[in-house]
Amino acid sequence: MRGFLRALAGLALAAPLAVIALGAPAPRLAPPAAAAPVNQCMECHLSLDDDTFTPPAKAFRKEDVHAKAGFTCANCHGGDPTQEDMDAAHDPKKGFIGKPTHQQIPQVCAKCHSDAGLMKQFNPSLRVDELSEYKTSKHGQMLVQGDQHVAECASCHGAHGILPIKDTRSPVYPTRVAKTCNTCHGDTALMASYHLPSDVYAKYMTSVHAKAMYEKGDISAPTCNSCHGNHGATPPAVSSVANVCGTCHSVFAEKFKQSAHSRAFADMGLPGCVTCHGNHDIVQPTEEFLGTGPTGKCGSCHEKGDRCDVATTAMHKDIVALRTRIEAAHRILDTASEAGMEVSKQKFDLTNAEEALTKARTDVHELQLAAVRKDADEGLAVARAAEAAGHKAMAERDYRRRGLLLSLFLILSAIAALLYKIRG
Amino acid sequence: MSAKSEKPPGFRQRTLEAIGWEGVSHFAEKKDVPVHRSMVFYYLGGMALFLFLVQAATGILLLLYYRPSASESYESVQYIMAEVPFGWLIRSIHSWGANIFVGVVILHFLSAYFEKAYRPPRQFTWLSGTFLLFLAFGFGFSGYLLPWNTLSYFATKVGTDVPAQIPWIGPLLSRILRGGSDVTGATLSRFYGIHVAILPATATVLLGIHLYLVQLHGMSVPPKIEREGSVRRMKFFPDFLLRDMVGWLTAVALLAVLCVFFPWELGKKADPFAPAPAGIRPEWYFLSMFQALKYFPATIAGIPGELFGIVGFGVIGLAVLLVPFLDRKAVEGRSSPWWNRIGALFIVAALVLTVLALLPQPGTAAAP
Repeated sequence: MRGFLRALAGLALAAPLAVIALGAPAPRLAPPAAAAPVNQCMECHLSLDDDTFTPPAKAFRKEDVHAKAGFTCANCHGGDPTQEDMDAAHDPKKGFIGKPTHQQIPQVCAKCHSDAGLMKQFNPSLRVDELSEYKTSKHGQMLVQGDQHVAECASCHGAHGILPIKDTRSPVYPTRVAKTCNTCHGDTALMASYHLPSDVYAKYMTSVHAKAMYEKGDISAPTCNSCHGNHGATPPAVSSVANVCGTCHSVFAEKFKQSAHSRAFADMGLPGCVTCHGNHDIVQPTEEFLGTGPTGKCGSCHEKGDRCDVATTAMHKDIVALRTRIEAAHRILDTASEAGMEVSKQKFDLTNAEEALTKARTDVHELQLAAVRKDADEGLAVARAAEAAGHKAMAERDYRRRGLLLSLFLILSAIAALLYKIRG
Repeated sequence: MSAKSEKPPGFRQRTLEAIGWEGVSHFAEKKDVPVHRSMVFYYLGGMALFLFLVQAATGILLLLYYRPSASESYESVQYIMAEVPFGWLIRSIHSWGANIFVGVVILHFLSAYFEKAYRPPRQFTWLSGTFLLFLAFGFGFSGYLLPWNTLSYFATKVGTDVPAQIPWIGPLLSRILRGGSDVTGATLSRFYGIHVAILPATATVLLGIHLYLVQLHGMSVPPKIEREGSVRRMKFFPDFLLRDMVGWLTAVALLAVLCVFFPWELGKKADPFAPAPAGIRPEWYFLSMFQALKYFPATIAGIPGELFGIVGFGVIGLAVLLVPFLDRKAVEGRSSPWWNRIGALFIVAALVLTVLALLPQPGTAAAP
C-alpha cells in the first residue's frame, strides 16, 4: 500500500510541468482499473525491437511510477490500446497524438496533474498547481512563444521510466537537481543564445550550499530549485532576493530589512544579500567581509575612514576578539580533556559564547555597532570564564601529578622498608 | 599478704581478655603458610581481599554524593569528578580498582584450578570462591550502568537482553532485571540497589565463609609438590603478611598512577532516544561471552541460536562449580592432566574471543 502511494506521489510530482494548457482543461480521466485489459501498445512496441519505439516501452514497463499506478501508454499518447491493428490503435479519432510535441507536453501531463479530483484519489496532499506555476516561469513563458529548447516537464522528470521524486535515482532528487539543471544551463552554446552564463553549476559546486549538500550529506541544503523555484523557475527579482534567502536565513533577512542598507540598496537597484555574498558561488562568510580592506565587502560602495568603515572596523574587532577567545578556550579545554580532566560542563557552557558569536555575526546585518558589541561582550564573558576553567583544570592536573610523585615516593619508601624488614 | 600483693588487671589486660585476644594471638602464632616454588599464587587471595576492601571503602565514599536516578546520576558523577575534593581520585580508584579486582579474582580462581586446590577437604572453599567470582562479575555488571552514560546504557540494554532468550522464564527474568520492559530509570534504581546492598551483603557472608574455610584447612599445596616430599612452612604473622603488604602497596602505587594519568572517563550522558552508537561492548571480562554469542546462528532447528550459547555458559558455570566432585583422580591424589588441558583450552578460547571482540568490527568504529 505504501509503495503504491509512493508511486502515486511521484506520479503527481513528475508530470507537474505539464498542463501548460493555455486553453480549456482536458476532460478528467478515470483512475486506471485494477485489472487493466491487455495493453496492445506494449505487445507491439516491445516486439518491434526498434531503437526508437522499443526503449520507451521497456523503460515505462520497468519502473515508471505511472505504470506502477496502473496508467498505460494511451493515458498520455491517446489511441486505443485494445486494438491489435496498428491503424486502429493509432486512430486520431480515438485521441491518438503520437509523440507529444515540445509545446504539447505540459498539457498532456496536466490532464492528470491539474485534476485535483483525480490526484487526490492517489494522494490527497499532492499539489495540482504545477501548470499554473509553470506558466509563471521563464521556461513556461518562452515555451508559449514557441521556444523549442526550453525546459518542460519531461526535460527534468524524464518521459518514460519516470521515478518518484524521493527515489535517489530520480533526476529531481535533491542531490541530482543541480546536474539536471546543468544539462541545459551548462550548455555553453545554448546558454549563449539566451545571453545566460553557462558556469553556474561549476560556481554552485564551490559554494557553501553545495558543500552542505554533497560533503555533509544534508539534502535539505539549497540547490537550484530552492532559490529559483522548480515549476515556476525564474531568477529572483532584485527586490525579492532578501525574501528568497530569508526563507532559510530568516533572522539575517529580518535584520537586513531593519538596516539602512535595505532602503539604500533598493534605491540603488542592488539586490539584497547577493550584493555582498554573491549568488551561485556563495562561500562561508567570515568577519573578514567587514570593512573596506582587501577582503572587505564594503569597499565597493564605501571609502576608508567613512562612517561605515569606522563602524564595521569596530564590529570586526569585537567579533574577532570573541572568536579568538572562544578558540583559545576550546584549545585549553581540549588539552585538559585529553589529560583526563572533567571539563564537559565548561565545554557545554562555551556553547553559550558560540551562540553569542553567531548572534553578533547576525547583528552585523542590522549595521548597529551597539548590538554587535553587546553580543560580543556577553560572549567574551562566557569564553573568558571557560578559558579560566581550562587553565584551572590544567593547574589541577599539575597538582595531581606533583601529588602523585610525593605519594609514589612514600609508597616506594614503605615498600623498601618492608623489603628491608623481610630480608632482616 | 599475698592477696594484697596481687595487682588487679589493668585496662589493657581487661580489654584483651574481653575480646578474646589470647585465642586470636594463639591462632596467629600457629598460622603458617607452605613455602614452595608456586607459593607466589598465594598472594592473589590476599590481593583480592585487599582490593575488595578498597572497593568497599571508595564505594561508601561515592555513596555520599551519588544520586541514583536517570535525571541526576550522570550529573552527580560529573559533580564528583569536577567539584568534590578528591572526588576524581575516589571515583577513578573505584573504577580502575574494580577492573583490577576482577582480574585478580580471575587469576586467583585459575591458580586454584590448576593447583588443584579444590581437592578434599577444600570442596566448599572452592564453591564459596567460585560464587565470589560470579559475584565479582555481578558487581561489575551492576556498577557499569550507574554513571548512566551512553556506553553503559546501551551495554546494559544488550546485557539484559541476553537472559530474555531463555524460554518461558527469560522475558520475566529480563523484566525483573530491568524493572520494566526497557532499560530506564527503574533499571538504574534496581542496579544501584543490587550494587550497593544485595551484592555487598551476599559477598560479605560468602567471603566470611571462604576465609573461615581457608583458616580451617590452611593453604593447599599442589599435588605435584606434595608428592615431592615435606614442604617447608613460613609464619603467616609477620613473614607472609609483610610480603602481602608489599603487593598491596604496589597495587596502591599502580592505582595512583592510573588515576592521575588516566582518570576514569565519564563519557556522554545516556540518551534513551538516540540510536545505539557503533562499537558498543561490555566490560572486558564479558567480552569473550559477548563475542561467542555472535557466532551462533539466528536459529538452530527453529530455536533461537543465542539460547544455545546461554545454556552453554550455564553448563560451563555449573561444571566449574562441580569440579571438586567431577575430577575424581585429583580427589584420589592422582594426576589429572585432562582437567588442566580443558582449563588451558578455555583460557585460550576466552583470550582469542576477547581479542576478536576488541578488534574493530567491519563497518563500525571502535567505542571510545
